[in-house]
Formats: sequence, structure tokens, C-alpha cells
Amino acid sequence: MKTFSLLHVPMLDRRWRKLAFLFFPVSVLLVIAMAILRTGIDPDQAAEIIYLGWACGLTLLNLSKEKVEDEMIKTFRLQAFHTGFFWLMCGLVAVLAVNYYRYGSIHAEAVSAGMVLFLLNLYVWAAFEYQKWRSNEQNPS
Amino acid sequence: MKNSLKVERAKKDMTQQDLAERIQVSRQTVNSIEAGKYVPSTVLALKIAKVFDVGVEEIFQLEDGD
Repeated sequence: MKTFSLLHVPMLDRRWRKLAFLFFPVSVLLVIAMAILRTGIDPDQAAEIIYLGWACGLTLLNLSKEKVEDEMIKTFRLQAFHTGFFWLMCGLVAVLAVNYYRYGSIHAEAVSAGMVLFLLNLYVWAAFEYQKWRSNEQNPS
Repeated sequence: MKNSLKVERAKKDMTQQDLAERIQVSRQTVNSIEAGKYVPSTVLALKIAKVFDVGVEEIFQLEDGD
């Protein structure tokens, strides 16, 4: 069956997963190193560096192939992106509502790009792994 | 949707892994279909029926509420 080529996103090779796992400790170590070297990094900048590092790692995990790329995995992936997007929107609305309640106006600073990228990727990854875990629960064969 | 995949597999003395290799999916996918956790696409259902040399409706049947 032919698919519209513009909509087809090639998946990354599984080797990229190794690089993805490096992003998690490296971004934390980078912030610790910057604090030790007294570079004048403030907590917001530190959080943004960690958010972006973890977002990169999770993006690579979300876009890399599974061992067997069959139709069930593709269905899970589609559902995971849908679920992830839904929870991201709920979370962002909640953050903005809480900020509006506290300060009486919408603060754009309450939501950073790094935080949005991290949360979206985290929710997608979690939804995908949850579906895989559910499908792997053994039934007597 | 209920299915008699496990019965058909037993008739042919076929493991989940054997079937998975024949229809080019993972063993987990076959396991999920058998358990009713995953409903296969028309293409995959036709491939499964072809392996057992029966009609799709002999393996997959609609249930009340489907």
C-alpha cells in the first residue's frame, strides 16, 4: 500500500539510542560543572539546560526504531504521540491557569521552550513504553 | 473482536514465534492479537488467514458491542 511520501518520516537507526542515553547524565554534569566553575549560572538557566538535554535524549528515543517495526508498534507510536500531545496541552493550560491565579496575569516566562520540549517528549515516551509493557504482559500460549 | 488464532496455531503445531516470522511481525504482536489486546489491520488479518489457509472470518469474529 502506497503512502504519501511527504508524510513519511524515516526512523533513526537503533544505534542512536546509545547517544540518547548519554544526554541524560551529560546535561546534569554540565550544570554541576558550570556551578563548580562559578560561571554565574542562575537556577532558571540550569533548569533550561537540563530540560533541553533531556528533551534531546527523549527525542532520539522517540524517533529511533524498535527491534521489530511492525504495525502494532506503529499503532502504539501514533497513540503515544496523540496521548503525549493531549497531556502536554492539559499541563500547559494548568501551568498558565495557576500563574494567572497567583499573579493575576499570563506570564510567558512560566513556560519555557525547553520545558515544553521535555514534557512533550516525556509524555510521548511514557505513553509508548506503557503500551509496550501492556502488550508484553504474558497470556498463556 | 474475538479470534481463534490460538486454536488454528495449535492445529498446525505452530509456535507464536513461527507465526510471527511467517507474517513478519514480532512475537509480542502475535501474543497481543491472541489475547485480544490488539486488533490487526485488514492486511495483517489476511496474511494470518493465508498462513492457515482459511477465510478471515473463520479466525476473527465480531462480538456484541463491536
